[in-house]
Amino acid sequence: MAFLFTREKRTVFIRRIKGFWEEFGRKKIGLFGLAVVMFYVLIAIFAPLLSPYDPLASERVAQDFAKPGWVTIFPQFQDLPTTQREQLFWHAEKGLEFIGRYGKTVVAQYEAGGMETVGVELSTTFDYLSIPPNDFYLAFDWVSKDIKDLEYSLRITMFTPEGKSYLLWIEPTLSTIKGEVVTVQAVDPLLRDRLGFEMHENIAQILFSQKGEYTLLLNIRFKPKSDTAKGQITLENTEFVVLGQVHGLLGCDNVGADIWTQLVHGARISLEIGILCAVASASIGILVGVVTGYLGGVVDELMMRIVDILLCLPFLPLLLTLVFLFGKNIFYIVLFIAIFGWQGLSRLIRSKVLSLRETAFVECARASGASRFHIIIKHLVPNVLPIAFASLVLSVPGAILFEASLSFLGFGDPRVPTWGKMLHHAFGFGAFTNLAWWWLVPPGLAITTLCLAFVFMGHALDEVVNPRLRRRR
Amino acid sequence: MREYLIKRIIVSILILWVIASLNFVIFQVLSPISPEKTVIDPRMTPEVRLRLRGLFGLDEDMHIRYIKYVINMFTWNFGVSFTSMEPVVDELSIRLPSTVLLLGLALIGTILVGIPLGILAASRRGSKLDVVAIGSGLVTWGLPTFFIQLLFMLFFCYYASVVFGFRIFPPSGISSRPPPIDPLAYMADVALHLALPLITLIIAGFGSWALYTRSMLVDALTQDYIVTARAKGLTERTVLYRHAFRSTLPPIVTMIALSIPGIISGAMITEWIFTLPGVGRWYLNSMLAADYPVVQAVLFIYAVLMICANLSSDIIYGVLDPRIRVGSRR
Repeated sequence: MAFLFTREKRTVFIRRIKGFWEEFGRKKIGLFGLAVVMFYVLIAIFAPLLSPYDPLASERVAQDFAKPGWVTIFPQFQDLPTTQREQLFWHAEKGLEFIGRYGKTVVAQYEAGGMETVGVELSTTFDYLSIPPNDFYLAFDWVSKDIKDLEYSLRITMFTPEGKSYLLWIEPTLSTIKGEVVTVQAVDPLLRDRLGFEMHENIAQILFSQKGEYTLLLNIRFKPKSDTAKGQITLENTEFVVLGQVHGLLGCDNVGADIWTQLVHGARISLEIGILCAVASASIGILVGVVTGYLGGVVDELMMRIVDILLCLPFLPLLLTLVFLFGKNIFYIVLFIAIFGWQGLSRLIRSKVLSLRETAFVECARASGASRFHIIIKHLVPNVLPIAFASLVLSVPGAILFEASLSFLGFGDPRVPTWGKMLHHAFGFGAFTNLAWWWLVPPGLAITTLCLAFVFMGHALDEVVNPRLRRRR
Repeated sequence: MREYLIKRIIVSILILWVIASLNFVIFQVLSPISPEKTVIDPRMTPEVRLRLRGLFGLDEDMHIRYIKYVINMFTWNFGVSFTSMEPVVDELSIRLPSTVLLLGLALIGTILVGIPLGILAASRRGSKLDVVAIGSGLVTWGLPTFFIQLLFMLFFCYYASVVFGFRIFPPSGISSRPPPIDPLAYMADVALHLALPLITLIIAGFGSWALYTRSMLVDALTQDYIVTARAKGLTERTVLYRHAFRSTLPPIVTMIALSIPGIISGAMITEWIFTLPGVGRWYLNSMLAADYPVVQAVLFIYAVLMICANLSSDIIYGVLDPRIRVGSRR
């Protein structure tokens, strides 16, 4: 930005910017586009605040294909429950020999004394008052320590309001130190077999068929093998989650991950990719266009032949292949899109420079002994920047669409959440058979509206910088 | 004209050679997954390895391989597919009809919808129709085709089967399995299978044609000879079609020729979504299986198509518009 150094030039520049802004402000469609883009920029900046979950690793926040939360305003969906998450506090049952603590963390301790088997029973209750769910899970972690000459076993049983009991989890007799993070899932086939249900039956629906108070009973048994036996078992972070059939703003995907989270984080990647690609390819395009246009001759001929070759390459198939061969990496994707995206702009700039080259002020500069570099940087580049800016904005949607296509076909970076990837997953993992429009429509609409916003903005800019176009409308 | 043509053809062949070389460099030199690794299993015996290397021409020096490669590409000899062990050309000829059928119909459909819309919009500037034409043109810039396709698939195949009890359109394949024996029934079956991809491609594509035709025509309608034609007392219809539209034909025909390659590579996603047995889907599957002969061949054929389209657009332009002095720089 060498041309900003003196004060007069700065005022001229500021005046031009102001004039430009006034002109742009008259284009309603451009302002609308700008507003939408700013809206997405805000979403991208505040993405972590807008959603409490991790976009890549937050599964089972509700049941798979949970509907959006607001569908409950419709009568046919009004009974659908949201996720019910119970932090369980264990209470000691009366009359048992129990040494240790209870509450959120249960510590059962056995100390030497006699040879008979000792049992500890703890219970906890919670209410379930909605229609039968499709899925639930029970999660906790437990660890035993200082086990000496001691056999122990653990089991958790659930009692329904009507009094039936189901053995949810069992750790058969052990005599060594062990610890585990346990998740008992309703969809676990082992659990289904143990409870004696058939393949097609949904355990969650059967177990929670009644509204009312459910009781969990934790049973710990110690069987000493000598009179110096001792041991301690700790069980904590018990959580019982009945997965909801509706969730959040936009529901859930096939693994119960929040779609709204993926959507807002996807805005970041799309904007980043779109703008980075556009800036990179515009820079190459301006450079090539100005240099070839001004220098002419062999350089011009060579570069224009390269442009011809690049224009003959099948863009999407080649890009897919390159990404496949060199790694599904966001950096490569941006790089490849930029490398293959500058030809059109460079031709445009070149034709503009060809006419600028013959103007009086360039001739004056040349006559007064300015170097080629000086003319290019100080006279030509500032004059082609407005055109380049308009076409830069117009090339953003192309880049966003290309990234979306790549991700949709499964060639996106697996480490970033993108809209294309959401559509890829929706297409591949049953959004159709589950009629999960809330998984398909939001990412597609987001891509469309963001791209259209850039298109509107770009067209308005184009009309500002290309006065010839203004006459037409 | 002839001199120019010969020059263009020579340049095109040079470009093809560069593209073939690029292909070679990308797949055989730079690629981290070398063809050697894809063909040869480490558990194979040395004799088998040697035979395989010989079969796929991997036992020669790089420069000899390169020369052979370029010659093979230009003589349409693309080798043998790694996965099916059939010649690539045979495989291609099985898959080409479906792609050509879909793309040909899609191109014709978009033009038949787009250009008349553009003409109407230009002749009634400022009307609602004009707004529709401009709007649909702008929307195509930002609307991913695959999103329309997914939406249509969701509503016409899956929601329809819930609401009406049957699928209005089949969601995948180009014909029922097994296909009907009666040729008429077979044609109807294929038409039903291609309906959804076609409709979505036309919806996604017609807008840009409408916008392009409109802006061309609007430009033409402000020319002096139109004023003259009107002053002569010709009907508006004659002015529009015989004077204005005719002058916009060369750029439009050029655009048609130039749009063919883009449609071909763009149809890859369509074939992927609707599980059509075409070239694009074959390309994607081959790539995922690291089947290099197929990938290289299809890339090369795409490039040939693009060059042909470029060349033919130039020629058509020259033929249709005598004012254009071919041979002058673009």
